[in-house]
Amino acid sequence: MGTVITPYLTLAAILFCIGLYGALTKKNGVIVLLSIELMLNAVNLNLIAFAKLGDHPALTGQIFSLFNITVAAAEAAVGIAILITLYRNKGTTDVNDMDSMKR
Amino acid sequence: MFSGIGNFLSSGTNWAFFVFALLAIGGAIFMISFTKVIHMVVAVAMTFISLAGLYVILNAEFVAFVQVLIYAGAISILMIFGIMMTKHRPGEEAEPKRPWHTGLAIVGALGLFGLLFYAIQQSTFTATGTLDASKDNTLEIGKLLYNEHVIPFEIMSVLLTVAFIGAIVIAKREEE
Amino acid sequence: MVSDYSQYAWLIPLFPLLAFLALTAMGRQLKDFGIYISIVAMLASFVVALLIFVERLGGRVEDYTWDKLDWLKIGDWTLNMGFEVNNLNALMLVIVTLVSLLVNIYSRGYMKDDERIHVFFSYIALFSFSMLGLVISENMLELYIFWELVGVCSFLLVGFWYFKPEARAAAKKAFIVTRIGDVGLFLGMLLLFWYMPGHSLDFSSIHNAFTSGQIDPGIITWIAILIFVGAIGKSGQFPLHTWLPDAMEGPTPISALIHAATMVAAGVYLVARTFDIFQASPDALLVVAYVGGFTAIFAATIGVAQNDIKRILAYSTVSQLGYMMMALGIGVSYASGMFHLFTHAFFKALLFLGAGSVIHAVHTQDINEMGGLARKMKITTWTFAIGALALSGIPPFSGFWSKDLILAEAYDKQPFLFWIGVIAAFFTAFYMSRLFFLTFLGQKRSKHEPHESPASMTVPLVILAVLAVGAGFLNTPMNAWFGRWLTGEQHEETVNWAVMGLSTLAGVLGIGLGYLMYVKKSIARDFISGKAPWLYTLLNRKYWIDEIYNGILVKPLQGLGLLLELIDIYIVDGLVRLFTYAVVGLGRVGSRLQNGQLQSYGLITLLGLLILALAIAGRRFIHVG
Repeated sequence: MGTVITPYLTLAAILFCIGLYGALTKKNGVIVLLSIELMLNAVNLNLIAFAKLGDHPALTGQIFSLFNITVAAAEAAVGIAILITLYRNKGTTDVNDMDSMKR
Repeated sequence: MFSGIGNFLSSGTNWAFFVFALLAIGGAIFMISFTKVIHMVVAVAMTFISLAGLYVILNAEFVAFVQVLIYAGAISILMIFGIMMTKHRPGEEAEPKRPWHTGLAIVGALGLFGLLFYAIQQSTFTATGTLDASKDNTLEIGKLLYNEHVIPFEIMSVLLTVAFIGAIVIAKREEE
Repeated sequence: MVSDYSQYAWLIPLFPLLAFLALTAMGRQLKDFGIYISIVAMLASFVVALLIFVERLGGRVEDYTWDKLDWLKIGDWTLNMGFEVNNLNALMLVIVTLVSLLVNIYSRGYMKDDERIHVFFSYIALFSFSMLGLVISENMLELYIFWELVGVCSFLLVGFWYFKPEARAAAKKAFIVTRIGDVGLFLGMLLLFWYMPGHSLDFSSIHNAFTSGQIDPGIITWIAILIFVGAIGKSGQFPLHTWLPDAMEGPTPISALIHAATMVAAGVYLVARTFDIFQASPDALLVVAYVGGFTAIFAATIGVAQNDIKRILAYSTVSQLGYMMMALGIGVSYASGMFHLFTHAFFKALLFLGAGSVIHAVHTQDINEMGGLARKMKITTWTFAIGALALSGIPPFSGFWSKDLILAEAYDKQPFLFWIGVIAAFFTAFYMSRLFFLTFLGQKRSKHEPHESPASMTVPLVILAVLAVGAGFLNTPMNAWFGRWLTGEQHEETVNWAVMGLSTLAGVLGIGLGYLMYVKKSIARDFISGKAPWLYTLLNRKYWIDEIYNGILVKPLQGLGLLLELIDIYIVDGLVRLFTYAVVGLGRVGSRLQNGQLQSYGLITLLGLLILALAIAGRRFIHVG
């Protein structure tokens, strides 16, 4: 496993799909955000794997993944802030209740 | 078949990968199958930590530490804060039954996985050169970051500032 | 010699057509003037018809044909429309225009209180146009067109008082039953078209083709019988006679015009016109003769047990038409049938108009409620008596001569039919005398005071009475010029005193029996009906034919109609509604996707992405041929 990249890519794919399922299915907004973080982690794994085992091994992949972590953190923060505000206005964090876009 | 597993488990790297991968997948599955929200957060934190282990195997130590620091630390705690601040009544945590939606989501996720798996299997990656694992990872990353990727680095900091100000503004209580 | 006036024959139907158009457009505004327009138009037509007829009486005049109107052109086959005038036509023209004129004048008095009188006159004008067009038609298709038009006019006029449900039902029945006959006529026409050399349908070609034996004998019989089916419908022969008595729901003037003198004579005229076809097929002639003979005696027996004055006259018409058909079927020539048609038109119209006069006076149609009218209604009584005697075949009235001609021919050719005719004559005389005695003589049983009708009604009666007496002398056995003139053929003239005596005897016996039963009362009225009430019921209910038809034909058809209606409601409509529900359902499913929830949208995006990727990647595996 240290020389072929395929298991890492497969693992990343599995994590991504699980995160996608959670994002599409969970009722609680916090858990949706958490699933999105999981998806971003899967991407990071891909990047790191390619950095070592891909066609052109270099450290660029790791740099990219650092940036990815940063953006993910910022997005999580803003997301939670929005969720708290929504909770203050609607009294619930159920994503199914946020349907004012249907008009 | 068992000789294959024997071969497989002979290498320490493989064994470590196997354990970490199992933990990662396990954490993800637990996340989507637990009923209480706090349990879900704990499960996903487990996934983050096992991912950090995988990064170490892949000679990305700095990223691994950053992963633990940020994800398993800051982001998980942030989620717990989010949960605490949005009060949940005990009966509310049950998921509503949406069979069509859930079914289609499973189909979609599995389909996507199938697609990705197929793509992964079909591709061939021939390495040209290897990553030099002897060098100090942190030093190398620091060198790259400040010499070649300095502009994205600065922009990142601006992004973080904007994000944190934005978050405060959004989450501030309205003046009565 | 070439005719001078025949070329103007197209004017004859034109005048009533113009009257129809004027009355339809402006009848209500014109009021009385409109009625005069109709009468004047008919008078003009009568004058032209009379000119044509008299010119032809003088000597041998050529037949005149004008067929220059190219109506239908298919490939190299053309159908022309036009008109033809020969001796037969000229006779019919005079009959139709004269009776129509008299009915027009009569209706002015009879229908005076009806507020839709202008509509009535417009319908009569349309009918006159159709009948006259039928008479001068030059080919079978043109005749069929006018044939149908006449049927429509009959429908309109029978159902004139459309607010009465019986009138509506009778109009429908008239149209539908004659339609059944019309199908036969149409089939016959199609066969003619198929087998005629050059596919021509005009009467001169038919004459040439059938007298020279160019048509296959088997087909001739079929064509003839199918044409005769059309005549059965229109002329009320058995089994399509049921509409004629019911058509008495219409106003009495049109019963006189249409159902006595003209429209029902169209069937006889048709057979006469296409007589070459019939003469070429002895089997068809036999069919015609027996149908006619059977109808004659069948209708006469029913007429004996009816109590409505118009119904008795209607069954009498059916019976007399049977005589005419019998005459045609015997096959010597069409002169005997046409002669009887000629005399019958006058005395039957007279009888109907007289009945109308009676109904106008006592406001009922049941003869048991009449009586003693002779004292107050002299003109009506005398003219009615003349008509009744003519119908019963008493010399020297016209009916005697025409009926005698038929019976003489029957005696020579078909003795069985001769005896049928004699027995039917006996019944005819009996029911007419019953009618006359119960209506005009005896005690006054009506609640109304009878009064004589106005001049507009009695003058036509007198004119018709004169014709009923005199028209017969045109063709006595001693001097049978009429037959010669009509058909252009020579026939041997024999005076058969035995036949004349027998027919007179039958008539006198019938009248005598009626006299004994209803005036002297020496034989009780219920002499037969008391002993055998079932016989009376059978005859009174017209042998239950209407009920049989209702059960066999009408009810299954209504059932079929109901079934089809159910199919229409549930299957056809159901199919349409299925489509509606499918589309609406599809819409509803679609609208459920628009629920504003982010996760639904994300799911749809994911599925769309998968499908897209599969479609693009899948092209590698599936070669689109």
